[in-house]
Formats: sequence, structure tokens, C-alpha cells
Amino acid sequence: MLFSSISFLFYFLPAVLALYFLAPKAGKNMVLLAASLFFYWWGEPKYVFLMLFTIAFAYVCGLLIGRFRGGKGGKWFLALSIAGELALLGWFKYAGFFADTVNGVLGGTLPALHIALPIGISFYTFQTLSYTIDVYRGTVKPQRSPVKLAAYIALFPQLIAGPIVRYSDVEGALTDRRTGLDDLSAGLTRFVVGLSKKVLIANQLGAFAVSLRGCGEDSVLLYWLLAVSFTLQIYFDFSGYSDMAIGLGRVFGFRFQENFRYPLTAESITDFWRRWHISLSGWFRDYVYIPLGGSRRGWARQLRNIFIVWMLTGLWHGAAWTFVLWGLYFAVFLMLEKLWLQRYLNRAPGALRHGYLLLTVTVSFAIFNANGLSGMVGDLAGMLGLSGGPLLSEKTLYYLSGNAVLLVLAAVGATPLPGRLWTRWTERAAGRKIALVVQPLGLLALLIVCTAYLVDGSFNPFLYFRF
Amino acid sequence: MMKQQTVTAAVLLGALALGFFACVFHQDNSWSLSERRRLAQKPAVSVEALASGAYMKSFETYSLDQFPLREVFRGVKAGVHYHLLHQRDNNGIYLVDGSLSKLETELNEESVAAAARKIKTLKETYFPDSRVFYGVVPDKNYYLAPKGGYPHLDYERLSAVLEEALPELTRIDLYDCLSAEDYYKTDSHWRQECLDRVVARLGTELGFSPIPLEDYTRETMEHFRGVYWGQSALLLKGEPLTYLTGGILEGCTVHHFEDNTDTGIYEVEKLKNPDPYDVFLGGADPLLVIENPNAETDRELILFRDSFGSSLAPLLAGSYRTVTLVDLRYVSSQLLPQLIDFHGQDVLFLYSPGVYNNAAMLK
Repeated sequence: MLFSSISFLFYFLPAVLALYFLAPKAGKNMVLLAASLFFYWWGEPKYVFLMLFTIAFAYVCGLLIGRFRGGKGGKWFLALSIAGELALLGWFKYAGFFADTVNGVLGGTLPALHIALPIGISFYTFQTLSYTIDVYRGTVKPQRSPVKLAAYIALFPQLIAGPIVRYSDVEGALTDRRTGLDDLSAGLTRFVVGLSKKVLIANQLGAFAVSLRGCGEDSVLLYWLLAVSFTLQIYFDFSGYSDMAIGLGRVFGFRFQENFRYPLTAESITDFWRRWHISLSGWFRDYVYIPLGGSRRGWARQLRNIFIVWMLTGLWHGAAWTFVLWGLYFAVFLMLEKLWLQRYLNRAPGALRHGYLLLTVTVSFAIFNANGLSGMVGDLAGMLGLSGGPLLSEKTLYYLSGNAVLLVLAAVGATPLPGRLWTRWTERAAGRKIALVVQPLGLLALLIVCTAYLVDGSFNPFLYFRF
Repeated sequence: MMKQQTVTAAVLLGALALGFFACVFHQDNSWSLSERRRLAQKPAVSVEALASGAYMKSFETYSLDQFPLREVFRGVKAGVHYHLLHQRDNNGIYLVDGSLSKLETELNEESVAAAARKIKTLKETYFPDSRVFYGVVPDKNYYLAPKGGYPHLDYERLSAVLEEALPELTRIDLYDCLSAEDYYKTDSHWRQECLDRVVARLGTELGFSPIPLEDYTRETMEHFRGVYWGQSALLLKGEPLTYLTGGILEGCTVHHFEDNTDTGIYEVEKLKNPDPYDVFLGGADPLLVIENPNAETDRELILFRDSFGSSLAPLLAGSYRTVTLVDLRYVSSQLLPQLIDFHGQDVLFLYSPGVYNNAAMLK
């Protein structure tokens, strides 16, 4: 089930809110768990059992790791839990890619595997891994209530597209939480804002990109517009989803960590990855980079660790070489910045730093969005003017003119400017009075317009479901 | 602050609750007039459908199709799309000077060549000795798109491909016989009462004297809303739909081969149809013959046509004793010898660019 669907907004969500708030405190986790399983089953009926197995596996491993922690047994059970979780992820997400690669490179005859990717497997696998690892490290206690652990792993607000919520972040709330008026108001506000980012901006940018791809031209401008629009689309798509998840989490009394902090206003790639998909980069930092030694054992080891982490980051996003290259592309820039580039960036004018970041990130998403390696080469060649196409072309200019307002809105919306203006406005007494009316009505208007777009159109894929 | 939080939470929760009750208790509709299609109905619950996910997919479609005040919401979307986001089109429909049209930009030369081959084969197989003409019915985009700065088909290339493939046929150029105003504002079709120059051009090329349009009686239906009206979802007014009758068309009969029935040229009761354009010869029909005992000549015409032909053919019936209309989208060309006696009639192929561009639909 998609957040941005009529079935979620006007059937599932109101029903779940009613049941949740009517349920006694002791039953709230059960309501959330049942709702979450229904939510997952609605979109992925056959894989709901895989998720239940994953939960059961993590539950048992957590208890055993806790029981034998400090001895060899704890280590063995941790290894078992990691191997088990990764084996499932590996089979469902990477087995086909592995077979295709072996066949392609070594001329092997491994059977082609067409395994459907269970929605959200990358997210909930990383959550269960963080749980068992944290139990082993002693930073959290093993959860003895299967309902609580299942409610954490399957929690529908963040189940299928993150953010990757760590058990330690919600451990307390699973046992004791309440939803205040401020939580309800802020959570619903955040949800509607996220929904608007997804439906009104990301989906429209997606339609723009589809028009460009289908217009049959190959001008340089077209390839750049494709890259820019996809960069903005994926930002609004994913950050919109994260906003919805964080907002819903708050409505149900959870505080999830922020997943985006205006990454397109960063001034370096290092800065960008502190602001983009924070829960993922934080996960790799804490569970891969630091255990590998981080930056503590000299430059060579640090560069090796960066290479490994970013190759895995690329692979996490998808089982394709374009994603691996995308990760390694960032690894190169991160290494360059660590070695010498950051020093120059620090002294460069702000516009130049932003320009460097935007150019680097835009090119990265051209790689990310490419249809295979040949498509990537074609898109990058097109951006460099090597595809033989003209600089500008008629249909591209037409589509640009039709989407100029959208692009400007998206560009401004990707900065903190609208938020700052709103804060400045509401700091004044007169602004606060007007905001009393404007804010709820504005949010209501956004909800109505989003509904109108959903009712009218069927173009509504969430980009991050494939990860 | 607390007041603000209360109002915000109340408004949003209220909207979700209202939406919930409206969706659950809303009476389902069976038909969308604006889109000319059946709406999805509530799917039946079964273990198989639930296990396979088919139920959920159907329910998603159902929830969109049956959303309360669906047309109002579609209008809101169209308004925001056009007027706030300044998008140039909505679902491929654009608006210039109050007239709606659908974007079609890519000329499929392979398809045009295939259509030409089809025409050539039909001529060589069924009517090698007839006088055979062909033409392109200009679509509204030809006039409207350049006005509004919208991309459009390469019409010159379309004509060139046909001309290269059909050198032995006589081409009739109609592009200079029409203007944007000669089409319905809310529909793709041309207005019958504006076809005087088209009929005159056909008369010149085929060699008949056209009946002046003033000689017909004009009957008008007000508030016609064409197919683009529904697709655009914009709040546009209806417009008159006029059909020309009386005079030399008195006594005309139309024989429909598909259901073996006879009707008049205009099926007035179809003005109440979802698509009132069906008033012209009853709408889509694979094969029909207009017989006019009062025609000025005994000549016969076979018109291979699409829907534009429905409103044009009555204006040719005063000059031809019989006009046979063949729509190859609905009848296989291999069946034609069983249905039509080819004996030297004039033959005219007249298709809009959309048909040439999607020739696979010609059977």
C-alpha cells in the first residue's frame, strides 16, 4: 500500500487512527502490529510470511545473543543472525544479479533467476541487523515481547521505505509512549507536507522526465534536464516519504530521526552525505565503517574503508552495476575531499562550493537513473554533447517551458528558504494570528489538491520501493 | 500555540474522517460521462484474489474510480495544473483560444508507409480500374498547435511519405480548406456546417458539383461537450452541435451491414449518447451505405474513412446516388469482396493523421 493512495489516505489511515486511539494502552502495540501486517500484506501478500520469519529469526537470535553475550556463544549467535539476515537479502535481492554477472563475465550457464524483490526488504533487514548487533554490543537489551519487537520491525510508517529506524531509537517508546496534541498536530502537518512533496512535485517531475525521454530528441539540454529533474525528483520523492514516515511515527508517539537536512544546499560531498539519507549513511558508519577501523589506522586503511562502504552503499540501492558505480563515484569524491579537495573548498567562495556540489550530485543521479551501463554511457555522453545531438531542440524547450514553474518551485523547495520565511512570519504577533487560520487551511488545501492529483492520475510509483 | 495545534489537528483529522465516511458510504457510479468509460466496481472478495493480490489491485482502481465528487477533484487538479503550475497540458490535452486538443507529436513514418501500402494493395486487388483518390483530414493540431507554441506532427513529412508511396493515386490536399474555428472546441472533430470548402475541394478533384451548404436545414443541439471536455476536466462551457439536413437529403436511407438495419442519415436519439457526435450516421460502423434517390447523379462513391467521414459523407450524398463507407478499423479488408460489389465506383481514402500514424489499426 502506498501512502500516496486513496486506499491508504481515506480507508486505511482513518480506520487505524480510530482503532489505535480507542485501544487501551496495553493493546496499542498489537493494533499497530496488526495494522502493519495488513499494510504489508496488502501490497505484498506472498512475502508477508518472509517478513514474519525475519521477525521471528531476529527475536530468537536477539534472545540467544543476550543470553550468551560476553562468551563465544554470543559471537556465534550474532554471526548466525547476520548470516541469516544477509542470506535472505542476498537471495532475494542479489542472486539474479550475481548469476547475470557470472554468466556475462565468465560465460557461465547459471540459470537466470527472476526473483521478485520483497518490498522494503533492504530496510527491514538493516533494522533487524542493527537490533541484533546492538544487543550483542550491549547498547540495548533483548526484547522479550515478540509483539513489541514485531511492532518495531513491521511498523508501517517506516516499513517499506525508511527511514532506517534503529531499535535503540524506539526501545523506550515501544513500552511507554503517549501522543500529545503537539504530536498529533505536528505529525499530521509533517505527513501532509511529505505527501505534497511526493504527489505535487516528485510525481510531476517524474512525468516531466517521462515526456523528455519519450520526445525522441537528443539535445544536450534534454540530457541535462533529465539529470536535474531526476535529482530533484528523487529528493522530493524520498524526503517526502521520510516526512510522511516521521509524521506518522509522531502521530503514534514515536520520534524517528531526521533522514534529510536540505542535502542539495550542501557545500561538499562529505557535507551532502551528512544530509542525504542520514539513517542509511549513519547505519553504514556505525555498523561497517567504524568496525572496519574507520579513520583510525592511517590513510590507506581509511581509503579502503571508504571504498568498501560506498561500494556497499551503491549495492544497497540496487542490484545493478550502475548502482555500484554510483557508490564508487561518491567514494572517489569523498577520498579526494579527505585527501586535499576539502581544504580548497573551505577557501572557495560559497557559490563555487554549491556549484561543485550540485554538478557532482546531478551527474551522480544521471548514473543512478541510467538504464544499464550502456544507457549510462549514452546519458553522460549526451550531457557532454558527445551524442551528436544539438545544444537545444524544439520539443525539449516546449517541455521546459511547461515545467519551468515546477522546476523553480522544486529548486526553492529544496532549500530551507520556505521554512525560514514561515518561521519569520509566525514569530510576529500578527503573523501568528493569521497563521492560526492559514496553516490549517493551507494544509487542508494541500490535502485536497493531492487527493485531486491522485484521483486524476495513475502515475504514482515510489522510487525507493525498488531498493 | 495550543490553539493552533488544536485547529490543525482537528481540521486534518476531520478531513480524513470525512473522506473515510464519504468513501465507505458513497453510492458507486457505473459510468464516467466525461471519460466515456465504465468505472471499476467493488471487487469480489475471494481467497484466491486475496492471496494473489488481485483483490488489492482491483480495489486500488476501484477507490480511484469511485472516489466521491470525482469529477470535482479532477477539475481541481486540472485547475492547479494549468493555472498554478502553468503546465502546458493536462493528461496530454491542451487549451488554445478556448479550444482543446490532444498532443500528438511523433510521426511514425513506418506506420504511414504501412497505411500507404494498405491503400495500394486494396486498389490493386479490388478496384484496379477505378479512379482512386486519397487525402489527409487535417487534425485540429495542424491549426491550433502552432498558434499556442505546441509541438505537433510533421505534416509535410506525412504528406511526402504518402505521395512517395502512392504516385499513381490522386492526392487531395485539404489543409488550406479549414481553420481552427472549423472544429468543435471541446472535441477532436470538424464541424459539419464548416465543411463548405472541403466539399468544394472534393468536388473539384472528384468532378462533381457540390450542394451549397445554405441549401440544407440546420438543426442544432446546444451544450455539446466533446471527448476532450471530459479528458481535460476544465470548467468549459458546452457548444452547439449542428447537423445539416433536409433538401436533397430528404429520402436518404442508410443501410448498416453489421446489424442489417436501415436508418436515416442522422440518428437524433443518439444526441443523448455519451458521445453526441454519434448523431452522424449513428457513430462508429464498419460498413454502411447511404442511398439517395434524389442525388444529382447516378455516380457511386466508396469512402474509406474514420470518424471524420461520418459528418462529411452526408454532404457528398447529394452528389452521389450511393456512398459506401468502409471503416477498416472495424472490418477486415479481406472480407470486402463478400460485402461490396466493386464495379468502377469512385474511391476515396480519407483518414486523419492519427490513423495514418497508427496504421496497425487498419485491418
